[in-house]
Amino acid sequence: MLNPAMTERGVDALEWSFIGVVLGILVVGILSIYSVTSKSLLTMFPVYLKQSIWILVGLLAFWVIGSMDYHKLARLSIVFYGIGLLLLIGVFLIGKNSRGAQRWIPLGPLAMQPSEFVKLPLILMLASYYSNKVRQGWWYRVIIPALITLPGFVLILKQPDLGSSLGFLAIYVTLLLAVGVKSKAFGLVLLSALMLFPFAWGGLWGSLHDYQKERIISFVDPAYDPGGKGYHGLQSRIAIGSGEIVGKGLHRGTQTQFKFLPEGHTDFVFAVFAEEWGFLGALLLLSLFLSLFLIGFEIAAKAKDLLGALLTIGVIGMIVFGVIVNIAMTLGLAPIVGIPLPLMSYGGSSMIMTMASLGLLLSVRRRRLTLS
Amino acid sequence: MKLSEVTAESEVPTAYRWRTVAVCLALLCGFGVMVFRFGHLQILQAEELSQRANRQYQRVIVLDSTRGGISDRKGRALALNIDVPSIIAEPLLVTAPSQAAQKLAPVLDMQAKTVERLLRAKKDWVRIKRKVSLAQGQQIQAMGLPGIDIEMEPQRFYPNGSLLAHVLGGVGIDSQGLEGLEYGYERFLKGQPQRVVRQKDARGHPIFSEGQLRESRISGHTITLSIDQVIQFIAERAIDRAVSETQARGGTILIMDPESGGILGWALRPTFDLNLLREAPGGVWRNRAVTDPYEPGSTLKAMLAAAALEEHVIELDTLVYAGGGEVPLNGTIIHDHTKAEWITFAEALVHSSNVVAVKTALSLSGERYYEYLREFGFGERTGIDLPGESRGKLKVPQDWSSRTLPSIAIGQEISVTPLQMVTAMSAIANHGWLMKPFVVQTMRDAEGQVVDEHTPEPRRRVISEKTASTLGSLLARVVNEGTGRRAAIPGYQVAGKTGTAQKFDVEAGQYSSSRFIASFLGYVPVEQPRLTILVMIDEPKGPAWGGVVAAPAFQEAAEQILRYLEVVPDTVEPMRLALASPFDSVQ
Repeated sequence: MLNPAMTERGVDALEWSFIGVVLGILVVGILSIYSVTSKSLLTMFPVYLKQSIWILVGLLAFWVIGSMDYHKLARLSIVFYGIGLLLLIGVFLIGKNSRGAQRWIPLGPLAMQPSEFVKLPLILMLASYYSNKVRQGWWYRVIIPALITLPGFVLILKQPDLGSSLGFLAIYVTLLLAVGVKSKAFGLVLLSALMLFPFAWGGLWGSLHDYQKERIISFVDPAYDPGGKGYHGLQSRIAIGSGEIVGKGLHRGTQTQFKFLPEGHTDFVFAVFAEEWGFLGALLLLSLFLSLFLIGFEIAAKAKDLLGALLTIGVIGMIVFGVIVNIAMTLGLAPIVGIPLPLMSYGGSSMIMTMASLGLLLSVRRRRLTLS
Repeated sequence: MKLSEVTAESEVPTAYRWRTVAVCLALLCGFGVMVFRFGHLQILQAEELSQRANRQYQRVIVLDSTRGGISDRKGRALALNIDVPSIIAEPLLVTAPSQAAQKLAPVLDMQAKTVERLLRAKKDWVRIKRKVSLAQGQQIQAMGLPGIDIEMEPQRFYPNGSLLAHVLGGVGIDSQGLEGLEYGYERFLKGQPQRVVRQKDARGHPIFSEGQLRESRISGHTITLSIDQVIQFIAERAIDRAVSETQARGGTILIMDPESGGILGWALRPTFDLNLLREAPGGVWRNRAVTDPYEPGSTLKAMLAAAALEEHVIELDTLVYAGGGEVPLNGTIIHDHTKAEWITFAEALVHSSNVVAVKTALSLSGERYYEYLREFGFGERTGIDLPGESRGKLKVPQDWSSRTLPSIAIGQEISVTPLQMVTAMSAIANHGWLMKPFVVQTMRDAEGQVVDEHTPEPRRRVISEKTASTLGSLLARVVNEGTGRRAAIPGYQVAGKTGTAQKFDVEAGQYSSSRFIASFLGYVPVEQPRLTILVMIDEPKGPAWGGVVAAPAFQEAAEQILRYLEVVPDTVEPMRLALASPFDSVQ
């Protein structure tokens, strides 16, 4: 038996790697946003400075949640999730309409995006649901969690925000697969489907006519790509491809600097990075993300209890979905749905929520060997 | 063992790790696909996509150089460039196209519909109207319409309007030379257009500012003319007066420095404003003094006399029978204005006897006369640096009929350009040397370095110095006591010859009895000629004699120019001496 004094341990090598990888991704993200927005003369308070503040807030959330006991948070999950759903309803009532979609709640000069904040409560909610007692049978294992997920999913989809609602759904699917369904084969298929979903969709999508694509896109997400005709996707591919192997260098990315690629600091931030730092830069960034996920799996595997493991898997599943769908989108492998790249895209809500989620991983990690 | 089988309290079983491994594999697959895709885009398609990126933000534009200026011999600007506004629009930024069009149309004097169509064009950038006035540009800028802007473009400007119009020639909307020197020297004035890679952003905005763009324009060569603006002004005024007083159809005055062949003045009527070239009636801008030959009439007798004296077929005091003012010739009768019986050759020329001219030509023989006319430059281009020059029309003797020689003797059946006439007369003034006429004195590059400088170019000796001098005294008598008396200038000895040519009526197939070209061709001062001047009045109303209609214009222009050039008078008249006495100025 281990020494109870070990419950609040110092930072070990894996934690250091974990923190290092997160900081690495944050640095790459802020660098890319800086590159796109630092030359803007129009604003007194440029976007990269705002994002820096969000990163600091995010780091604070990361540390605070990391030093809390995730069991306590799990016990309060129903409260958090309730607040999250209320905020989503609030979006409909007092939300800010932008480009045909209502996604933000205005807070003075800022705006909050509840569809981001509600993800973490859902993870806590589902993880504690599965870990409280053995959930056996079709009803308990599949339907009830689905019913828990459904209100949030529908509320986000109706904003409309296809990307975020799919990301929300991905949390449910990930956790369902983690606890296991009847057939392992079915689980594997679903799992692979989830991972390869963007690419599969890419193939299906490619077979559609342009006008059909436009209709579908504008049906589910009228805010996106108003000009249509695949402009974003094309510009993104040009940006990435013209970066070639070593990239054009900071501030030298013509696609983004000259505004050919819109949303350079938000959804297409990866294209900005790939244009300015080339194939080598892209490899580095992909390695960072992959490392993050592998560390996440390690944390899940070493978690001291099922709640910790499921929380970790839920968080990792959420981030994996965001990373893969977003990068596949910038690469032209997936349809363009507005999904931010976790830890990199500009946006306070996404940044704080993601960092808080990673804080949860830190919390799980730190309590992995305590006695029960 | 399944994950679901463990209790909440128990440790996570190792059995579920296979699932973790599967998830990791799937994840690695996903990342593998992305890496493959990155490689595909950034290595395999890199070149193509880079080119696409470059094409998007780089636009190669041809930047015209600033057109070189034209100035007179003393450096006074005759043609220069000023920046004028063009109205442009970026349709994407125009908020209310129809309202904007309603506001713009009246200012620009355009149809609102046309403007609106431009504002709705699916382009990054359209030109609404080029080269509007500064006032219009300011008015439109003051409106502050979004997406509407002005762009400054260099525009050719002629500060003196119509001065020297036919020599300068004028330019079109793109500052391309259309006529005259602007056309003939286009290559040099225009300079080398440069290909400039201009960077633009997604909205088509240039990345570097307009100021930098202007700096990188290279200027074409600048040109300094042999023409003097003051002499030109005098010439313009003299021809204006002569044409309006005689209500003539048109008129020409050419002034040449006989020693160098340099053109000093060149004015045609009717004329046009160089700044409004496009509004000028068709053909007015044609430089008729080189393009349109005419029949010179009696002024050509000066060259006949030169040939006859040089060949010694006749001397000044040779007595010739003038036939009482008429001589039958091949069925027609040639008449003289002043009837005489026996007169000297000199007297015959002074009174412009057609009869004696015909007799002289006959004794000279067609071949020899033809040779001299060719020597004087008729039937060939003078080689002046102005475009569109005509050769005139001088048939070779083999094609002559029996009437051709006598006709040419009195300046018919031969057509010459005014420039040929003034060049030929300059040869007599220049001691027998025929010079190549020119307009452009010096050409400099953008840095002011002289690229080309004209040096006087003698073409050939036409007559001996002695003959030239004899002819000078003979032509002086024309002015002193003959038909050219009204060309006389107090203090200076003028040499010249009048001409009154019937115009050939093409419809009637014969010479008109009512339409004439009256001319005076002469030089001054006789001893050391400084000016050769041709005045030609086309279809004057009333009396059409060259000595009456054209000679006064010669006198007016030449007198003022001599004074301007401070040419020392040949003879000082007592009256003038008194006026110039120092005592006067002391008072």
